[in-house]
Amino acid sequence: MRMANDEARWVARAGAGDAAAFRHLVDAHSAALFRVCARITGDKALAEDAVQEAFFNAYRHLREFDGRSAFSTWLHRIAVNAALGEMRKRNRIEAALPEDDEAADVLASSLEGPPGPERQAVSAAVGRDIETQLKRMSAIERTAFVLRHHEGQSIEEISETLSLSESASKQAIFRAVRKLRGALEPDGVEA
Amino acid sequence: MNPISDEDLVLYHYRDGLDAAALAGIAAALDASDALRTRYASIEQTLARVDALPAPEPDRDFNARLWRRLEPRLQTRAVLQRPSWAERLQAWLSPPRLAFAGAACALALAVGIGFYAGRHSAPETPTVASAQADAAAARVLDAYVAEHLRATEGVLMTASNSDSTTLLDSNRELAASLVESNRLYALAAARAGNTQLADFLRQLEPVLISLANQPASPSIEPAQGLRDYLRSTDLLFQVRATEARLDKPAPRKT
Repeated sequence: MRMANDEARWVARAGAGDAAAFRHLVDAHSAALFRVCARITGDKALAEDAVQEAFFNAYRHLREFDGRSAFSTWLHRIAVNAALGEMRKRNRIEAALPEDDEAADVLASSLEGPPGPERQAVSAAVGRDIETQLKRMSAIERTAFVLRHHEGQSIEEISETLSLSESASKQAIFRAVRKLRGALEPDGVEA
Repeated sequence: MNPISDEDLVLYHYRDGLDAAALAGIAAALDASDALRTRYASIEQTLARVDALPAPEPDRDFNARLWRRLEPRLQTRAVLQRPSWAERLQAWLSPPRLAFAGAACALALAVGIGFYAGRHSAPETPTVASAQADAAAARVLDAYVAEHLRATEGVLMTASNSDSTTLLDSNRELAASLVESNRLYALAAARAGNTQLADFLRQLEPVLISLANQPASPSIEPAQGLRDYLRSTDLLFQVRATEARLDKPAPRKT
């Protein structure tokens, strides 16, 4: 409560044009915003641009923040839209990587790999393949999945952030999970 | 119950998008069916692998780099917004408890300008000098009152739109700090002969007092009551309109 109260004061001071107060908010939230933007864009440089854009937009609209939601929630929503905007700018939205049978083979063999150092290498390969699979998703699928899975947002909140119906948000999450399963369980689920 | 789909299991995993009955139904079905448990375990395993990936972290210089790139944009933005001297003064006068001091200063300044200009203007044109002094004092007062109304507008907006206890607490403090300054501005406006503005400010006083004395955790009824009052009286619109009128620069003499 005290923290929220402190934050409300920083927000009020920043809204009145106090640059030091805004810097305080930037420092407090930049890492979390970077994580969500990097997960959505799958690209650290794009994520950095998105975070910068998000803070700039937040600064422009700070006086409109009415405290109905937590400041971090409001900021995250701006950051998600900034990340999608950055992807759109670079024509990455809805772009899919070419099919890569080799990657699927590595993945399939990795799931049956032996323990020990080899197994660790295989784990790294699984990680890479999950990332590849995340990149193959559409921007909406990936964003909905990131918000639900990593950010813990409800489907209702995701729908608001992405301006989608709840049904469309659910479908985006289902497709994302199906694609991940398709990569991790090549025999079990169709991607 | 319909057969349980993988989609249902995904929603069950997140405990989201399903009502209590559906959640209980799936839990019971999982207890009863090995095959369903296997399907669910496979989904959980996939999601656990995603969790096992390291979270993307910014490098050590990220914050410094971010601020270096952000700061010039914010400064440009600030220049574009061109805050008036009154706004800068208001920022300087925050926290809100100093608003009263601001009002007192404005009143003293307005009276002072009138007095000084009246004493030191060209003696051969006393009427013109007096008129100039009055105009200068009125401009000072207008700038301060416009700023006061901007703060009042913010208080009314927050009180009628926000459900955040924290913001409402700060808002209550701000409303309390505006009551006294509102009284002083009304007095100054009346002395300056601007009865319309004085009446309007007097009309604001009971609203500010009521906002300053709202309970710490307002229930829905007072908030709704305030929304209804604002709608029925057009008070917010009047505040904005008066603010805009006061902000308008005086016509230049050619």
